[in-house]
Amino acid sequence: MSKVMLPDDAVLESGVIAGDEWITVARGRAHDALRALQAQGFESLLFMTCVDHLATPVLEKAAERYELVYQLRDMRRHRELRVRVFVPEDDPTAVSAHDIYAPANWEERETYDMFGITFDGHPDLTRILMPDDWVGHPLRRDYPVGGEPVDFSEDHQIWQTAPPEA
Amino acid sequence: MADTRIEPTPERGMTITRGARREGLEGELLTVNFGPQHPSTHGVLRLVVDLDGETIRRVKPVIGYLHTGIEKQMEALRWQQGVVVTDRHDYLSPPINNLAYALAVEKLMGVEAPPRAQGLRVIMSELTRIASHLIWLGTSGIELGAMGIFMYCLRDREKILDLNEEISGFRMHTSYIRPGGVMADATPRFFELLDAFIEQMPANIQQYEDLLTRNPIFMERTLGVGMLSAEDAIRLGATGPMIRGSGLAWDLRRDRPYCGYETYDWDVAVENGCDCYARYLVRIKELKESVRILRQAVDRLPNGPVNVDDRKMLPPPREELETSMEAVIHHFKLFTEGYSPPPGDVYVAVESGRGENGCYIVSDGTHKPRRVKFRSASFVNLQALEHMSLGRMIADFIAIIGTADTVLGDCDR
Repeated sequence: MSKVMLPDDAVLESGVIAGDEWITVARGRAHDALRALQAQGFESLLFMTCVDHLATPVLEKAAERYELVYQLRDMRRHRELRVRVFVPEDDPTAVSAHDIYAPANWEERETYDMFGITFDGHPDLTRILMPDDWVGHPLRRDYPVGGEPVDFSEDHQIWQTAPPEA
Repeated sequence: MADTRIEPTPERGMTITRGARREGLEGELLTVNFGPQHPSTHGVLRLVVDLDGETIRRVKPVIGYLHTGIEKQMEALRWQQGVVVTDRHDYLSPPINNLAYALAVEKLMGVEAPPRAQGLRVIMSELTRIASHLIWLGTSGIELGAMGIFMYCLRDREKILDLNEEISGFRMHTSYIRPGGVMADATPRFFELLDAFIEQMPANIQQYEDLLTRNPIFMERTLGVGMLSAEDAIRLGATGPMIRGSGLAWDLRRDRPYCGYETYDWDVAVENGCDCYARYLVRIKELKESVRILRQAVDRLPNGPVNVDDRKMLPPPREELETSMEAVIHHFKLFTEGYSPPPGDVYVAVESGRGENGCYIVSDGTHKPRRVKFRSASFVNLQALEHMSLGRMIADFIAIIGTADTVLGDCDR
C-alpha cells in the first residue's frame, strides 16, 4: 500500500479502519489536498457527507463537532481513500470542492441543507432535499427526529413553522 | 415584449416564462417547468428547462419531492432494525439496498456471512437486478412509443415478485438480507419457481430484443442521443450502465467483489456507443449475464447455515430457549438493547441496477448508528443529465431521462 503523496504538514493523521484507508486534512489545506489527490489518480468522488460528533466524538481526536468526509476512488489502481476534514461548531464553513470534483456540487448542497455547513465558492448553495423555506438542519444530532406534526390542511399555519433551531 | 413572468405555484403544473432574453442567444428563451408530476420523469422529478424553440439550453433538476428522511430515521433505530428502512430508498431494488447495509455492518463488526447465505444473497441480488431492469425497459419503452413491451416486462417482473414472496413473505420490501446472513433459508418451492424462471428467461429476453433492438423507430429515438463520453462520465461521477455504455468496463461485482462474485463465470456488459442506445444494449446484456449468474448460483449453492453462529449478533434458535438460560439472556439482550459494533466508520458499495449503491456507516459504539449515509447512484447520475441534453431537442430529452434510469426515492432518500 503506497503512501499518499501530500505535503507533510497537510496530513494531520492517517490510518486504516476495517480495511478502509483514511487521512485527516487541516481545514485550510483541504482544497489543495483534494486537488493534489485528484492529480495522483483519485479521479472520482464517490460521495461527500458530514458526521455530527455532538457530545461523544467517535474518534479520540475529533475535537471539533463536524467532520466532513470525502470518499475518493482511483479506478485504475482499485484504491479508495477517505479524506476527513474537521469543522468547528462556531464557524461551520469549508471551501467548496465543486471545481475539483463535479459531483461535489449537489453533495455540498445536501450537506448545507442537512447540517448547515456553508461552502465558500459554491455556485448555488441552496437547499436541495428540504423545502426552500425550511428552518433548521435536520441531520444535526440536536434536531429532534419527530419534529414534524401531521400536516392536516386545517393546521396549515402551524405545520409551516418548523421546530426552532437549536 | 414585456416580461410576463408567471410565478410557479403548486396549482400550475406547467409554468411558462415569456420574454426572458439572454445575452448572446438568438431566439427567445422559454422556461418550461417539466414535472414533478410528468409521466415521463420516472417519479416526482421536476426539471426547469430553458428552451430555444425546441432546443434545450439549460436544465436544472429540482429534487427533494420524495425526501423521507431515511438517514435521520436510521439514527433513531437499532442496528438490526435499520434493515427495514433500507428497503425503502431505492424501491425497485430492496434486496440490493439491504445487502449494502448488511455488508457495511458486517465489515465494521468483522464477521462474514456463511457460504450458503452468500449464495442466497447473490441469487436475490441478481433477481432484483433483473426486476429493476425490466421496469426500466418497460417504462422507457412506453415513453419512446413502444407500448407493448411494458406488459411483457411486468409479466416477468411479476414472477420475481412471486419469488420474493416465497422466500421472504413480502413482494417488494423484502428485508431479506440482514447483517449476519439472511432472514431464513429458501423453501423447496422457491427453487422450483426459480428453475422455471431461469429456464424461461432467455427466450423472454429474446422477445424484448425482437421488439426493440432492431426497431427502426426505437433506434431513431436513441442512436446518437444523449452522448456521454467516458471522460465526462468519470468527471461527473456516473456509475452503472451509464459508465458501461460509455465503453468503461467498471463493475463493482468484478472490480471490488463481494459475496463471491469473483468465483462466477460472467462478463461485464460494455458498449462503446456512449448514447442512449448503448445504455439500452448494456442493460439487455446485463439481463442475460444475470440469468447466467443465477444458473450457476443455484447449481452450486452450498448446504449449511444461513446465519452467522454468533449469539451476540443474532438470536438463538427457538428450541434452545427452552433448555438454556444463556440463550434466554442473549435473546433478551438482543431484543431489548441490540448489538453494538465497535466505534469507527466503514464504506461498502455494491452494484445495483442503477450503479454504485453504497452505504457509509459511523458507529459510536452504542446500539444505534451515529450516522448512516446512502451513496445513491440516482443522485449522482442525475447531475449528468444537463451535460447529456444540452443542444438536443425536447423529444430527445425524454429518451435521455429514461436511459439515465433514476429512481427518485433513491435520489431523495
